[in-house]
Amino acid sequence: MISKKSLQWIAWVLILPVLIIRGFTTIYPILKTVFNSFYDIRILSGINEFAGLSNYINVFKDQKVLTTLEFTGIFVVISMFFHIILGVGLALILNMKFKGRRFLRTIVLIPWAMPAVVIGMAGKWAFNNDYGLINDFVRRFVPDFQLNWLINTGTARAAVISLDLWKDLPFFAILILSGLQFISSDIYEAAKVDGANGVKSFLYITLPLIMRNVLTLCIPFTLWRLTGFDLVYSMTSGGPGEDTSLIAYRITMEAFTNLNVGYAAALAVLLFLVMAVFSWFNMRFMSKLED
Amino acid sequence: MKKNSNAKYKAYRWLVGIGRWFLFALVAFVILFPVYWIFISSITPPGELFKTPIDYIPDHPTLESYTFLIENVGLISKIGNTVLIIGVTLIVGTTICVMGAYAFARFRSKAVSLAFGFIVATMLIPEVVTARPLYEFMQKVKLFDTYQGLIILYISSIIPFTVLILRNFVGEIPVSLEEAASIDGANFVQRLFLVVLPLMKPAIATVCIINFINCLNNFFTPLYYSNGIQVLSVAIVQLPLRDNMYGVPWDLVSAMGWIILLPIIIFVAVFEKQIMDGIMAGGVKA
Repeated sequence: MISKKSLQWIAWVLILPVLIIRGFTTIYPILKTVFNSFYDIRILSGINEFAGLSNYINVFKDQKVLTTLEFTGIFVVISMFFHIILGVGLALILNMKFKGRRFLRTIVLIPWAMPAVVIGMAGKWAFNNDYGLINDFVRRFVPDFQLNWLINTGTARAAVISLDLWKDLPFFAILILSGLQFISSDIYEAAKVDGANGVKSFLYITLPLIMRNVLTLCIPFTLWRLTGFDLVYSMTSGGPGEDTSLIAYRITMEAFTNLNVGYAAALAVLLFLVMAVFSWFNMRFMSKLED
Repeated sequence: MKKNSNAKYKAYRWLVGIGRWFLFALVAFVILFPVYWIFISSITPPGELFKTPIDYIPDHPTLESYTFLIENVGLISKIGNTVLIIGVTLIVGTTICVMGAYAFARFRSKAVSLAFGFIVATMLIPEVVTARPLYEFMQKVKLFDTYQGLIILYISSIIPFTVLILRNFVGEIPVSLEEAASIDGANFVQRLFLVVLPLMKPAIATVCIINFINCLNNFFTPLYYSNGIQVLSVAIVQLPLRDNMYGVPWDLVSAMGWIILLPIIIFVAVFEKQIMDGIMAGGVKA
């Protein structure tokens, strides 16, 4: 460890490049966003004047935003619910001892590594009523099945959530797997001797041991869901109406398409606050869990 | 009696075996079939895509969609842009991250810890929150729609994760190795290049592989901070509609999608171990 004062300048020479680049892309923009959120800036109509808190107040009167918040909530809750249930399931499958394990572990990396836009564009076509993959598959069992997924609110939302799961679930499972691998097989042997069956040893050994890992993972995964953009942009453009629009998508549209910069900034500040509170709350929760 | 329970056990083992293979096949199918579908769509003549039920083994395979992409959409220059931006990002970004990570692991002072805390904390800032002011700033300093500008933003996006992983890795290299080297008369630069860097090779390889995938996945940055310079991830959402009334130029999207997927699949297959290590070391987001 080097703590000699005379050598500290070396540290700063080494640190400065990353610090400058990271600072340049975060500090000024975030301060400017906070500043803008108190102004009414609409580039299309050339308005730029102080507006106090009116942007923040308008957020809660804006039907588009309320629908967006509704879907963001649904999206986060349902997606996380299945992440936990199916993610633990998939992790158990990946942890099974059999010949195809290595192959399976390799292919689950594919959805994680695929760009969300590619998945979104493919999803747009896969959920097409006439020529899509999904309906083609359903029709093999139910002939004459007709459903235009992306046109109706409920089915469009289901489609977006299922594609989100397709992409991110394997990643979640791999991270749970890393916890599973630390459980020594001796414990299971001992349980077997004591007469525990598979279900019992899962409930009383595996689950308690990975629970902390699962809960910890829920923090970043929830935050990533809150800021999801690519999938919705490429797959539904928030449609039908605003029914599948996520908050990050809504902010971007206000900022770059409607050019309603002040309003977008207020939304962004609110999103950032929600994320900060959420992370703080979780950190408290995690440190309690550790005691 | 004993024979009976033995047979029972065998049947049980057999059932478990079947169950495992069923689950295995199910997961493999759900993941691989859509990928296969994208591939066969890309080599099906556009007209035959409007068929129901879908032909999963195309009758008349053709590379027409690919040649259309090359001749009319400028595929080669888009691949060139992508390779150039990602290549420079990885070289420059990894270099400065190694420097930073080394300093964060080896130098202790309040200010240094604060700087490290800042870099990790910026992970929490979603890009939509900074997007609009950054967009205006990039235009003001004439970095908008330039290779330099995009590369700076790409580098910025990989910094927190890379610095965090590499710093933890350096922290595990015993300081005594460096002290021994300095007793032998090695100066600071020699210690860094001859002692620490060779030991960091596997960690550097891992972060490079994961950052390559993350950069290839990056969509927001090239979409909003450039117009003329198109990379593959943006090009796929801006393909022209040909003879298709359904809103998705699926013939071209599937071909472009496959061009992005192929290097990813090769990468995943070759570097499975490194990627797994990297994911488990830090929790990465694509």
